[in-house]
Amino acid sequence: MKKNQMGRTLDIFKTFLKFGCFTFGGGWSIVAQIQKEYVEKKHWITDEELLDFTSVGRSIPGLMIGNASVLFGYHAAGIPGALAALLGIVIPPVAIMLGVVFLYDLVKDNPYVDRAMTGVRAAVVPIIFSALLKLFKSGMKNAYCYLIAAGAFALCLFTKVNNVLIVLMGAAAGLIYQEVKSRRDLS
Amino acid sequence: MIYLELFISFLMIGFTSFGGMSMIPLINDQMLSHGWMTAQEVADIVAIAEMTPGPLGLNCATFAGTRTAGVPGALFASLGVIFPSLTVTMLAAMFLRKFKESRLMEEALFGIRPVCIGMIFAVIIQQSMVNYAGPLLGFVSWQAVVIGLAALVMLLRFKWSVPKTILLAAGLGLALGSI
Repeated sequence: MKKNQMGRTLDIFKTFLKFGCFTFGGGWSIVAQIQKEYVEKKHWITDEELLDFTSVGRSIPGLMIGNASVLFGYHAAGIPGALAALLGIVIPPVAIMLGVVFLYDLVKDNPYVDRAMTGVRAAVVPIIFSALLKLFKSGMKNAYCYLIAAGAFALCLFTKVNNVLIVLMGAAAGLIYQEVKSRRDLS
Repeated sequence: MIYLELFISFLMIGFTSFGGMSMIPLINDQMLSHGWMTAQEVADIVAIAEMTPGPLGLNCATFAGTRTAGVPGALFASLGVIFPSLTVTMLAAMFLRKFKESRLMEEALFGIRPVCIGMIFAVIIQQSMVNYAGPLLGFVSWQAVVIGLAALVMLLRFKWSVPKTILLAAGLGLALGSI
C-alpha cells in the first residue's frame, strides 16, 4: 500500500467512525457530512462525484449509507479505503444498538429519551436540506435537468416505482439528451 | 446453526431491499417465520431504530441477532445485511472508476444527477411529514418547527457541523418538551 493511500485510509476510518455516530434519519445526513468534510474542507471529491455516489448507492441493493461509503472510500483510497469507510460507518450504530438491547426496558417509552429524539428528528430535515442547497448547482446544468429532477421527485413521492428504475430512467434521459444535442450541433 | 441462519436471513434482506422503510415487510417475514421476534417486537424495533443512529436494516440485524444468539449473533446478522455493500457495491465502484472518462458514462450521469436532487427533495417532504407533525398528522408540533428552524440557522448562517447541530437539537428537545 502506498504511503498516501495508507494515510487516506486511516483518515477515512476515523472520520467515518464519527459520521457513524450521527447518521440519524435513515442515513441521509451522511451526504451532508461527506459534503462538509471531503468536498468543502479536504477537496478530495467534487459535488458532482458526491451526487454520483449518492444516486448509484441508492440504486444498489442493501443499505444506502453502506453503499455510498464504499463508493466514496474506493474512489478516495481503493479497496482499503472502501473497507475503512464501511467499517467506520457501521461500528458505531452496532455498538450503540447493542447497548440499547440490554437497556431496552429503560429506553423504551422513557419520556426524556422521547423528548431528545423529537429534537434530533427535527434537525434531520435541515441537515438534508443544507446538503441539497450545496449540491443543487452541480446537478442542474440547464432547464432539461429541472425537468428530470421534477419527474424523479414525483415518481419517488407519489408512486411505488423502484429507485433502481428511476435512476436508470435518469441515465436514459441523459443519453437521449446528449445524443439529440450532438445531432443538432452537426446539422 | 443459528449463526449461519441469521447471516443468510439478513443476507436475503440486504440483497432484496433498497434501504429504509422498504426493508420492514421483509424483516417482518423473516423474523416471524423463524420465530426470532414477535410482530410487536418488530414494531418496537422500528421505533427504536428511529432513536439510534444508523440505518434501519442494520439496527434490526443487531437487535434480532442479539436477542436470538447474543453478541456473536448480532455480528453475523450485521455482516449479512452489509454484504451487498461489500460485494455488489465494490464492483460498482470499480466499474465507475474504470468508465469515468468514457463519454457515455458522462452523458448518463448528466441525467442521473438531477434524479438524485429530485430524490433528496422527496426524502425532505417525507421526513417533514413525520418529524414536524403529531401522531397521524393530527397537528403540527411547534417545538419541532422551532428546533428545525434553529438547526437550519446554525447550519447555514453559522456553518455548524452535523454532530454539533444534532447535539443542540437533542438539548432543545429536552428543554422544550415532546410533542
